[in-house]
Amino acid sequence: MRLLTKSIAAAILATTMLCGPSFAEDVFLLDGVTAREGDNPTVEAGKYKKDGPWVIGMSHFGVNANTWTVQVAHETEAAAAKDPRISKLILLDAGFDQKKQVADIEDLIAQKVDAIIVQPVTSTSADASIAKAVAAGIPVVLHTGRIESDAYTTEIQGGAEHFGKVMGDYLVEQLGGKGNIWVLRGLAGHPEDTNRYNGLKQSLEGKDITIIAEEHGDWQYDKAKKLCETLYLNNPQVDGIWSSGADMTRACVDVFKQFGAPIPPITGEGNNGFFGQWIADGFKSISAEYSPAQGAAGIRAAVALLEGKELKKHYDYNPAGWDVEKAKKYYRDDLSANVWWPSELPEEKLKELYGKN
Amino acid sequence: MKADTLRLLSTKGSRQGMWLLPLLIALGLAIWLSVQTQQFLNAGNLLNLVAQGMPLIITAIGQMFVILIGGLDLSVGSVISFTTAVLALDGPGIVLIPGVFVLAALIGLCNGVIITRFNVHPIIATLSMQYVLLGITRVLRPVSGGTVPDVVIASVSGSFLGVPLPVFWGIATIAVAWKLLYGSRFGLHLFAIGGGVASGTEDAAHNFGIRDRRNIVLAYVICSCFAALAGVFLAGRIVSGDPNVGLLFELDAITAVAIGGTQLSGGVGSLHGTVVGALVMALLANGMNLANVSPFIQTMIKGAILLLVVSLQSRKKMGL
Repeated sequence: MRLLTKSIAAAILATTMLCGPSFAEDVFLLDGVTAREGDNPTVEAGKYKKDGPWVIGMSHFGVNANTWTVQVAHETEAAAAKDPRISKLILLDAGFDQKKQVADIEDLIAQKVDAIIVQPVTSTSADASIAKAVAAGIPVVLHTGRIESDAYTTEIQGGAEHFGKVMGDYLVEQLGGKGNIWVLRGLAGHPEDTNRYNGLKQSLEGKDITIIAEEHGDWQYDKAKKLCETLYLNNPQVDGIWSSGADMTRACVDVFKQFGAPIPPITGEGNNGFFGQWIADGFKSISAEYSPAQGAAGIRAAVALLEGKELKKHYDYNPAGWDVEKAKKYYRDDLSANVWWPSELPEEKLKELYGKN
Repeated sequence: MKADTLRLLSTKGSRQGMWLLPLLIALGLAIWLSVQTQQFLNAGNLLNLVAQGMPLIITAIGQMFVILIGGLDLSVGSVISFTTAVLALDGPGIVLIPGVFVLAALIGLCNGVIITRFNVHPIIATLSMQYVLLGITRVLRPVSGGTVPDVVIASVSGSFLGVPLPVFWGIATIAVAWKLLYGSRFGLHLFAIGGGVASGTEDAAHNFGIRDRRNIVLAYVICSCFAALAGVFLAGRIVSGDPNVGLLFELDAITAVAIGGTQLSGGVGSLHGTVVGALVMALLANGMNLANVSPFIQTMIKGAILLLVVSLQSRKKMGL
């Protein structure tokens, strides 16, 4: 009897594994990515199942904007190259141009790709084209940017508000809930900048912390350095600095070092150059995580859909901030300042793209 | 074919500029793409191409009017962004749509008056206007979003008698521009004013009794209104208002005009050349996507081809 029961159980298990739907939990997307709680519809198993080889299209919001966006493209390409069932990855660059993104997605539909991955330029930029793609039976995976429509198939979203709040909460804790801070923002009008800033505002609610200076450094080292020099010369009395990006953090730290002044608590993110500076200079900071490997997660989600696996519609990527000890584990002295962590690039690719020698 | 039309389409020794060369390049690109990619001649892709190229065609035509008088309008990109922001104010279309054209006309009027009455160089005047408008647009709409009137969205995405609506936008725009440039005294005066500027005798047209200041102001008003039309089209395409959608569009428009054989020094150029110039740029963007050219080298190829096209025309004739 026991043998019979075991045989039946084994048969059911085997049948389930070979023929039945794969559940959302089976699909690994990225460390720290979880299915959103609450109302979260399921993309039913088999809906987009297709035999390989597959052609996957991607509309990148802007490959050459900075080193992080470049790495997202590399992570995506590396993940696609690793899967022999993907015959071609068509990576198109919208160059942060909303109208070009609309055109790019239309071109991908015209090429009859099997799945489309979209990093939206803005919250509305791709809505109409995404709806067209889904209507044409092409699954659409969205990541690193929300859109107002829900026409896409599945999304993986590292919340910009969460990112800003992780850094804001750290400053609130370091300052004991009171003091004066500078705020270095990214590109004016860009949703990532606005949402990260909104996260900071959430942290500051009800606290006695005053923003005495707020400037847009466009996430650039050069611009932020000029800003920090001006701010320091105007009023060096600042208790903390909230910086929306690692390059701006590095610039501001360099300004304080240039003037021989103590570095106030300042926020950063997972960039190798920033990690090196943080470890060497020992100032107080936190690194918010926003991995470029979200590009690889997008490929895995697209593959899962084409394999016919079940996915949830919404996935969140809201990891905790890193302290300097965690940064030390990732920091690589043999690589340039342009690498972002955590990365899934193979070692040989890391050395090829970012090796100092 | 009427003699007048033949004269307009000729290039030899005419004021129409060198537009046959870019036409040959456009045809060459189209043939190469149809051989290289299966999708190029697909009806869906050709429709994509028309819709994708239309904002640039419209803006470039407007830009051509001011370039013909030896001017330049760097504010058209901001006019486009501003137009999408105003259209996304969630108001009634019957108010917003005429409203954006009235506002655009006022912007053009300001540009023209500043240039003609205060003798400010067109680059400085329109660059200042670009910044002012960008600021206003970002106050109106700090990030993209809002609701665009349904009629605007429907007018760019549907079809009539089986013909996609963007095609009608193109026909209407070209017809209006053709009438203004070749079917009116105003058009003739633009060539006269530009010809004087190009030859170093800015008062030549004025001395012949042409009301040059009024015509210059009118050229800037027309340029702004065409930019607003492109903004309306784009708002329908992106279904929202966006403070950054027009960024650097002025440079694309100037490039398209230059490729189309219009002299940047004024006085020589053509509508058909400008349309061809804009088509070359649209073909490049669409073609590189279809040919699966890596985004890391797309901009490099675009720059190289543009340089090649412009280099094949003599600098003197280009006004560069």
